[in-house]
Amino acid sequence: MKFERNVMAGFLVVAFLLGAFLQSEYLLHILILVLLYTILAASLNLIVGYVGEFPLGHVAFFGLGAYSVAILSGPDIGWPMLVTIPLAAVIAAAAGWLIGRITLRLNGPFFVIVTLAFAEVLRLLAGNWIDLTNGPMGISGIGHPAILDWWPWLHGKRGFVMMGVVLTAFALFVTWRVVYSSAGRAAVTLRENNYVAQSIGIKPLRYSMFVFVVAAFLAGISGAYYATYISFVGPEVFAFPFTATMIIIVLLGGKGTLTGPILGAIIVTLLEEYLREFKEVRLSLFGLIVMAVVLFAPDGVMGYVRRRFPRFYKRTSHA
Amino acid sequence: MFDLFLQFVLNGLVNGTFYALSALGLTLIFGLMRLVNFAHGEFYMMGGLLGWAATSLIGLDFFTGLIVVVAIMSTFGWLLDRFIIVRVRDKGPEPGILLTIGLAIFLTNTALLLVGTAPHKVEAPVSSAPLILGPLIITKVRIFAVGMSILAIVCARLLIQKTKLGRAMRATFQDATAASLVGINTASIYASTFALGSALAATSGMLLGSIYVAQASIGGLISLKAFVVVILGGMGNFAGAILGGLILGVAEALWGGYVQTGTVDIVGFALVILILFFRPYGLFSIRAERA
Repeated sequence: MKFERNVMAGFLVVAFLLGAFLQSEYLLHILILVLLYTILAASLNLIVGYVGEFPLGHVAFFGLGAYSVAILSGPDIGWPMLVTIPLAAVIAAAAGWLIGRITLRLNGPFFVIVTLAFAEVLRLLAGNWIDLTNGPMGISGIGHPAILDWWPWLHGKRGFVMMGVVLTAFALFVTWRVVYSSAGRAAVTLRENNYVAQSIGIKPLRYSMFVFVVAAFLAGISGAYYATYISFVGPEVFAFPFTATMIIIVLLGGKGTLTGPILGAIIVTLLEEYLREFKEVRLSLFGLIVMAVVLFAPDGVMGYVRRRFPRFYKRTSHA
Repeated sequence: MFDLFLQFVLNGLVNGTFYALSALGLTLIFGLMRLVNFAHGEFYMMGGLLGWAATSLIGLDFFTGLIVVVAIMSTFGWLLDRFIIVRVRDKGPEPGILLTIGLAIFLTNTALLLVGTAPHKVEAPVSSAPLILGPLIITKVRIFAVGMSILAIVCARLLIQKTKLGRAMRATFQDATAASLVGINTASIYASTFALGSALAATSGMLLGSIYVAQASIGGLISLKAFVVVILGGMGNFAGAILGGLILGVAEALWGGYVQTGTVDIVGFALVILILFFRPYGLFSIRAERA
């Protein structure tokens, strides 16, 4: 617990310092991507690692967050970012509640495919509901939070890094609180043994639902952050590449560990950038690397650390 | 008006047969082996591109080409299962999903490197001239493909129901331990099933490559549709998968004809959500809850 807390705090401090002192726009961009992926992966990790189900449609909440910000702060409605970003997270959480109601009753492969079906329905809606989403052309020219204009130091990418640090801190704090709350422990009990958990009075749907909604909320935040940073949203925010990236981050870092998503986000972002060197072959290589991880490091990097150095985890009971 | 409706239904049934065919391999691999195989569409894509290479580049005729493609893809599937998939067996769905996603990314992009993004056409042995049956129109090549699909479906069904190999397969997927106790080599059965599934996916890819096109980036879409069909039909149920394919085909044709063509792809996903909402184990599946 202490080790996890220290790693999370250390990561935030390093991100803040790098954001404050790095001059290169390119490095700041990579830092922003790492922060974005950390939030997204931390949210997916809540479901994969702590509920023990495997959603392939988590991108639905990311996309809903992105589109909510784009539409609500667009010219037609024009609300300020400080309102629309929390609102986007709430919309994603509401969708999480609705989708969770339907999907959490299913298990195994059915859960996997139905969550994917929801994401695909949203992607197709986003591409066809021209009045609301501008269809395949997407919504461009999304603004940035007005607060970033107050201080010239925050102009451009540095402001987004600072915003990302704040959002990531919030997301990591929420996941930490959820995992070590009674609800989080109940969810882990359910994951480990559904029948035992029920016999001591833990209602399965209630706790998995709680974690699912929190995860959707955080994914909504990351979607909002993505929309305001890229300043463009199209139907591809619901598409499979994002799903694949966040799953790879979570499993590579180590599911069911709080520090795994951070590590996974750093590794995957750097790996994607590094593989650019290889031009056309890079995606093929990426596929091979993903396969190698599954075959040779099935518990991810943090799973390996946990096996190798159990003393870091002495204080956690449910590891 | 009614003629138009009949035409939509006919188109839907033809497409539905194709859906059923392209989902057959997944019925085996996902329905029976319980591997959530995201590379299914990539096997289909490989079938199409290998078929194109065999007929257009090497100059074999369609049927010889098909035999070559089936031989290559069965070997590929067999090796894949014996050396790679075996390592994620019985470890829950996540490792299998991630492994096949990695495989799908690798196969798609390698195919893109080799043949590029351009669509290729597999030479069909039948002309694509239209045939007019009263008020209905259908091309000859489609009738041929539907016939071939039915043949493939019947063969696969007979293989699983009537042969010794098929019996061993069913025994293995009901209870692998009991099956190995009575002397079935389960490792080899898993590999054979995977090989058969890959070969069926490749057959459908080549056959449909002669009607539509064979394309390196088609895999994702095919995987999604195949999952819809398998879930609609109930896992591992051949008859169900065929019905699932036909339902999907007709529903899409009617939606496209009467409502809106742009949103046709939503139909399948909406069907899956609705059906699992009311029947959590699929339309035609009889199963008790697993412990």
